[in-house]
Amino acid sequence: MAKVAYYPGNVARAGAAEVEDCIQPLCRALNIQLVEIPRASSDGGNVIKQATPKLQDALVARNLALAEAQGLDVMTTCATSHAIMCNTAQDMERDPVYASTVNNLVARTSKVEFTGEIQSWHLLHYLVEEIGLDKIRNAVKNPLKMNIAGYYGPDMQREGACAGDDPFMPTYMEQLIEALGGTPIDYDSKCMSVGSTSMLTLEDSSLAMTAAVLSDAIQSGADLVVSACTVSHVNLDSYQSKAGRVSGKNTKVPVCHLSEIVAFALGFYPDRLAQLRTRVRLIGS
Amino acid sequence: MAVVAKVWIDEDCITCDACQDICPEVFVVTDESSEILAAVRTDGVVDRNVAGSLLVDGIGAELGDIIIEAAEACPVEVIKYELVSDGAADEAVEAAPAAVEAAAPVAAASVAPAAGVSEALNAVFAGDRSINILFGSQTGNAAGLAEKTAKLAANYGLEPNIVDMDGLDPARLATMKRVMIITSTWGEGEMPDNADAMWNAINANGPALGSTHFSVCAIGDTAYDEFCKAGHDWNNKLAALGGTEAHPIQECDVDFEPPWKIWVEEALPLLACVDESGTLQVELLEEMKAFGAGDDDDVVEGDFAPGIIEKEAMTITLEVFRYCPEAADSGWDTLTCSVPGHATVQDLLMTMQQDVDGSLAFRRGSSAGTPTTGVRVNGRIVLADCARIADLAKDGGRVRIEPLPGHPVVRDLVVDTSRYESHRSRAEPWIRTDPREGERLPSGQAMGTMDSAAATALHQAGDVLSFQLIQAMSDSLPHDQHYEGPGVHFQQWLRVLDPRTSEKQRRGILNSLQEKDGVWSEADHASLMRYGEDGRLAARALNEARGVLLNQSRYAGKSGRLVKWYGRSVKWSGNVNETTLYRQVLGPLGLIGNVFSGVSARMALAFTRNGGPPIRGLQALLVPPAGLGRIPKMFNSRVQNYHEVVSLFNEIDQRF
Repeated sequence: MAKVAYYPGNVARAGAAEVEDCIQPLCRALNIQLVEIPRASSDGGNVIKQATPKLQDALVARNLALAEAQGLDVMTTCATSHAIMCNTAQDMERDPVYASTVNNLVARTSKVEFTGEIQSWHLLHYLVEEIGLDKIRNAVKNPLKMNIAGYYGPDMQREGACAGDDPFMPTYMEQLIEALGGTPIDYDSKCMSVGSTSMLTLEDSSLAMTAAVLSDAIQSGADLVVSACTVSHVNLDSYQSKAGRVSGKNTKVPVCHLSEIVAFALGFYPDRLAQLRTRVRLIGS
Repeated sequence: MAVVAKVWIDEDCITCDACQDICPEVFVVTDESSEILAAVRTDGVVDRNVAGSLLVDGIGAELGDIIIEAAEACPVEVIKYELVSDGAADEAVEAAPAAVEAAAPVAAASVAPAAGVSEALNAVFAGDRSINILFGSQTGNAAGLAEKTAKLAANYGLEPNIVDMDGLDPARLATMKRVMIITSTWGEGEMPDNADAMWNAINANGPALGSTHFSVCAIGDTAYDEFCKAGHDWNNKLAALGGTEAHPIQECDVDFEPPWKIWVEEALPLLACVDESGTLQVELLEEMKAFGAGDDDDVVEGDFAPGIIEKEAMTITLEVFRYCPEAADSGWDTLTCSVPGHATVQDLLMTMQQDVDGSLAFRRGSSAGTPTTGVRVNGRIVLADCARIADLAKDGGRVRIEPLPGHPVVRDLVVDTSRYESHRSRAEPWIRTDPREGERLPSGQAMGTMDSAAATALHQAGDVLSFQLIQAMSDSLPHDQHYEGPGVHFQQWLRVLDPRTSEKQRRGILNSLQEKDGVWSEADHASLMRYGEDGRLAARALNEARGVLLNQSRYAGKSGRLVKWYGRSVKWSGNVNETTLYRQVLGPLGLIGNVFSGVSARMALAFTRNGGPPIRGLQALLVPPAGLGRIPKMFNSRVQNYHEVVSLFNEIDQRF
């Protein structure tokens, strides 16, 4: 059984409860043991970093060190959280003096240190590289049978954060969708930002960016958009009507988180999958 | 002053009269072509002078600069000339123009046989003088040595090709008379990554190397058991395939330069003694060494021009964005073609323009990273004149070339950068002549100064290929017409960091960065960070700017409140509390706005949650305003040992 420390990110156990509902059963089905890190805190969400980069890095280094103390890699369902962990680990690796400063702070307050022995995984990369598409394909009980556009966002689509996938022309999500019995839809905007961290402060731009991504996916033939990022999911989903009205574009499409469609395909929550199918075929967004 | 030895006109003159207007003493334009006047030629003929007749005495010196000006003004670049320079001219001017044009850059740099060498050596210099320097490199050391070796090879009248083993067809080895292999050993005696495929291929089906002379330089580390194993493997394999070891293998430890130098000084002249027929004329070795000895230092030391690393041809499917403004029509041109892996995007576009469609529009550069040549290739933002195809696509893959994002398209791949220029010109990110502290100029005016450490730090902070490319990295820019853009703000921030900047200018820039279209208009720095080191530098700089502005403004405005309350909520429990953020950042009016815009309804009713527990939605509706805004929890539970988080805050930043 694969064993990995689970970091839910900032919202999976708050506003995005559906992610938490799905990640646990899907991991059980695929023989992945999720180990909690009960002392782990928020990673600062690239917001605290604006005031004090060192504070955000210390919060992240502490979380990584707690997982490292258990000898486990970290897995998360949120692209932003994954990218934040990768950034901090890379900054510390690049600058040993800075790493030492951060580690001193973490050690003084929490009695742990991050040495870089472990790495962060996003659920998508973990499923494709560590579990394997064949195993997932064999475990599918309810093939999705929908035209699905994967949304990666920009956070994890860069060298050092996207595992073996191509940062600019990624295909992991499409491969996974295919393995789950869906039809992947390719579209240009799948790595574009939807301004997830700025929806509260820069609404006009964020809505325009959200509308651009959604309308591109719809024009490319998507029945459903699947987000790899828990935070971006809010923009794509809750703000999509407003984004459509403000931009004048068609943005009406159901949006799910990646963990949801994997759980549905593996046979969990058949009622929710049925509701999703109904929305896709009859109701819309 | 330039002295022109001869001038001639190539084919395809468009008779535009430009040359005649500039230099009527030399050029006359007929109905068919520009021609060189008889009065200035030693052969006294009026024609295009393709035979290469010299200019009469004095004309080349008197009119040299004007002839060159005319050549540079020629829109189709058919005016060719040759300069008299440094005493080498007498010999050079003997060469026919066509031969000058045909000479490859590396070949032209090779040393021609000089007077005084024996007939036998001159005979060796005749014919094919190519030498192939193959490298297997994991960290770049072997590749660097290959380039240095290539430069030295020219001293022996050789024409070097540097060949990356990655993708090299082993069958090509059989066609090479002279081969040098420089390879490192990786891991426990393994081939470097770029040599692995070729090594497997040559083991599976190695060609007969009966006419190949070779020598191997192996780089390794004596700390490992399998010291220089990859080099020995190549040496043994080439010998087993019938190749002749011209010089024994050279092993190099971590300090590889001295033994490489010994090897190259022995192996190169030996391989240079291999004649046209493939015979090693070993009796000429001493003479060859003497011939090559003179220019060693001149060629290697201080010559930092990179060699051209030859890569195998790749088959690609090329997709180029096309836009015709007259027809307001856009689309994609697609073709499958084979290109050398070392070709740049610009090479590819130029070839397409010449051979496929002359109307293709793009901006050309000098091949040294010209900022205006930015395009997007397979999602990456690159400068077309220095980005190589092999770095952007795989063999058999797709190369999709689009205009630089964030700018209006004028035609095909040409974008209009005037918005960027006007923002930049308004932002004035350059040093202004305000009074400042510092040294004084002879005129008495103060001159800003900085020490070398500050200069280095400043350079590192802004060491990017092009600010225009930074501008194009933003995903927000195309959606906000007023946003000045990260490329402009990055330059402004560098000016703030510059110790030569006056206080008045620094204050002005900070105020402008804080304004509505300033640094807070970038919705997501992640869109910059993904574009390699340049994007990372820009995102870091803009984040730094935000930090300073937050302090200066005491966390005012929505952005300031977001940072303040985000930090506070994490400090209170270890988790972020979205309820707090919505309430504090949006305020009551913002929350009401969300209610009327339907955002709250979508959140609270959990309509899009695929059947999530309805109690969460109900709870949200029942406890306003916390619930209005996708917030299932008003109060976070604390993480275990949350005092550790508090301690971190207290240690690092007590403002929260």
